[in-house]
Amino acid sequence: MSAPTPRLPSAAAATAHQRQWFADLHRDHTPGDPLALVNADAPQEVFRAMGIPYVVNQWWASIVAAKRRTQDHLARLRERGYPDYTEQYSSTALGSAFDTDPDSAPWGGLPTPSLVLAETTGDASRKIFDVWGAQPGVTFYPLESAAADTVPERWWELMPHRWEEAVGTDRLDLMVGELEGLIRFLEATTGRRFSEQRFTEVMALVNEQEEWNRRTRDLIAAARPCPIAVTDSIPAVMIPQWHRGTVWARDAARRLHDEVADRVRAGAAVCPDERVRLMWVGRGLWFDLDFYRRFQDRYGAVFVWSMYLAIAADGYIRHVDPDSGDPLRALAARFAAFSDQLYTPPWSAEWYVKEARTHGVHGVVHLVSDDARGSWATTRALRAAGVPVLELHADNVDARRSDPEHLDGTVGRWLEAEVLPRTDG
Amino acid sequence: MSAALAALLDPARTTADGPVAGYVGADVPVELLTAAGYHPVRLSGSPHEDASDGIGYLGGGLDPAACSVLTRLLHGGYGPLDVLVVSRDCEASLRLFYVLRELARVEPAVALPPLHLIDVLHLPHRTTTRYVRAKVRGLRGWLQQRCGHTVSGDELAAAVAAHDRVRGLLRAVGELRGQRRLTGTEALGVVAATTRLPVHRAEELLTALVAELPGRDPRPGHPVYLTGSSHDCPDVYTALEDAGLLIVGEDHDRGDLLSTMDVGVPAGAADVDALDLAVAERYQHNGPSAPRAAIAERAAHTAAALRGRGAAGLLSYVREHDDGPPWDFPAQRDAAGVPAAIVERQAYGLIDPSELDRALSALGVPAVVA
Repeated sequence: MSAPTPRLPSAAAATAHQRQWFADLHRDHTPGDPLALVNADAPQEVFRAMGIPYVVNQWWASIVAAKRRTQDHLARLRERGYPDYTEQYSSTALGSAFDTDPDSAPWGGLPTPSLVLAETTGDASRKIFDVWGAQPGVTFYPLESAAADTVPERWWELMPHRWEEAVGTDRLDLMVGELEGLIRFLEATTGRRFSEQRFTEVMALVNEQEEWNRRTRDLIAAARPCPIAVTDSIPAVMIPQWHRGTVWARDAARRLHDEVADRVRAGAAVCPDERVRLMWVGRGLWFDLDFYRRFQDRYGAVFVWSMYLAIAADGYIRHVDPDSGDPLRALAARFAAFSDQLYTPPWSAEWYVKEARTHGVHGVVHLVSDDARGSWATTRALRAAGVPVLELHADNVDARRSDPEHLDGTVGRWLEAEVLPRTDG
Repeated sequence: MSAALAALLDPARTTADGPVAGYVGADVPVELLTAAGYHPVRLSGSPHEDASDGIGYLGGGLDPAACSVLTRLLHGGYGPLDVLVVSRDCEASLRLFYVLRELARVEPAVALPPLHLIDVLHLPHRTTTRYVRAKVRGLRGWLQQRCGHTVSGDELAAAVAAHDRVRGLLRAVGELRGQRRLTGTEALGVVAATTRLPVHRAEELLTALVAELPGRDPRPGHPVYLTGSSHDCPDVYTALEDAGLLIVGEDHDRGDLLSTMDVGVPAGAADVDALDLAVAERYQHNGPSAPRAAIAERAAHTAAALRGRGAAGLLSYVREHDDGPPWDFPAQRDAAGVPAAIVERQAYGLIDPSELDRALSALGVPAVVA
């Protein structure tokens, strides 16, 4: 394996910040005080504006997976009669609720939330949160998740300003109603106030942060060779993402941009012998992050893209007309169709093709989990655009079906058979 | 067997009555299809047919029943469909819609009927009602465009009343199941017939059935209530009843759950907007189905329905990739007050013999499978 490029300072800083933030949460949180556990695609900005701390469900699952503790957590579900084979990414944190030895848990364990918030997506997600809601002192607040009959294809061009057109009025009306209900519920149960001025500030900070991410994504797309590893870009983007709406998060995004710009100017390379540019479509392989570097020495193959920076760049920005706009409707527009951007054709399929082209990738590794999302539309669209695609069947947190030898062998054979013959390398 | 029952269980007697609207899922308001002049036919899969084409599009992580429906659609297995309406009654139906929509976009050579999604949501909130009403109105507008005429309030009221009468008759059939006059397999077939027959024909046959069944001898078997996955074919019911069980009720939407609520024709019946709202509220609040309802709501419903039918056991049968039901089971078991068992991750249309033996033992029924 080639000597890894030095870790990006902004990635190290983000990780350190998260550790300190979580330690402070442990220190400061009194059981019974407001604390939310929220899904990744939930409107966290409301909590930010009201000063209610929150932990992101999927972030916690990634920490548990990285510490190789997912199986412990799933076993606790199994012991209570719940399935350990559905939506593991969303159900892992529930295993923490049943931990009888939290002191040995990663990062000191997950404090018990007073509120869990999730959209009613899929057939199992809301059930997982129902179980949360049955725990002492925990309330589940569900949000509707609506689907559209027809959608415009090039959503990424519409979202920043013309989000009403992209998402549709019915879905936005519904989500605004849902958010107003959530705010009233939080006001009534926590005693915290929702300040419209504070919320407007939060929304502005989020847009600034994601605009920095958009510039960073564009820099990386144009750079040859690739200046940073996805294992650096993921924490450098996602930890600030969970803190979005804060000055720290906005500045962290700008710092990431500046460091990437410096590296591009200096001609820094993740893999000096870059021959193959790869795109990773799917959630991060949290239990085996070394995976992303293992193809550099033998094949000169570098993962230049993951969805985390790209969706930050295209999926969050919702500008509000300063004279007539409603920031709450803009927040509704951020989340009323969020998962469609990643998982629902034609939005998802056309977006991955756009990103593959702008990043000049030679191939796509598409993580296909054993869930309902399906892969056909994305794989078809990429192949129709002339991009080789490997469908890698694995779960991103549950390693039971994903031993590294199998993953490496599958990717290696695909590179040799389909990708390398099409490159100069 | 009664004449009405024989007629209901004979799919060959189904003939199209006008243009056909295929539909997917129990959240499609069939009243609108009937009012627009269509003959609504609910699409079912088959575990006995190769579904590899559907799996190729939908992936291996989705309910195989949906993969079978897609395969049949691609191969013209339902005959000519004038329109196709898909609901979001479960994730598999929604994903099926997305694949059909994408196929129509990128592979126009694939022959598919005009397609529409009806996004009925189920949280018990006023905001959800307003959204569902907008979706009902949108479906009515789309159907009007397709059929070429405006649906009048009288037409919609007549359709609502007709489908409500069928639901009422299905509930009467359900009461007779409590008296053991029908096997579960027969009851499943009766409900299926009402989703493919023209509504007036379904009403005629159900009326006759309700008159005939009280004179029938009780059916034998250990009475159990079935929860878990929905069943679009009789195979699993047959296997369970061949093993000595009698399924006296179920909480899936191809059985009792299809007819728990009526729309009701509101005052001022000719007001189509009022009817839209009545339809919206009925479909929003119908249930509670495994994919869409809260665990506590499901457990309370299952326990009450089980007691209402005098079941001596609760069996949860869960098909592979049907993700909701296994989360419901612990609370259902605790609420049931009778022996309970679950069989999970079962192949479409099958029940693993050793799992069946284990379930029978847990339910206190002697095993009959080697």
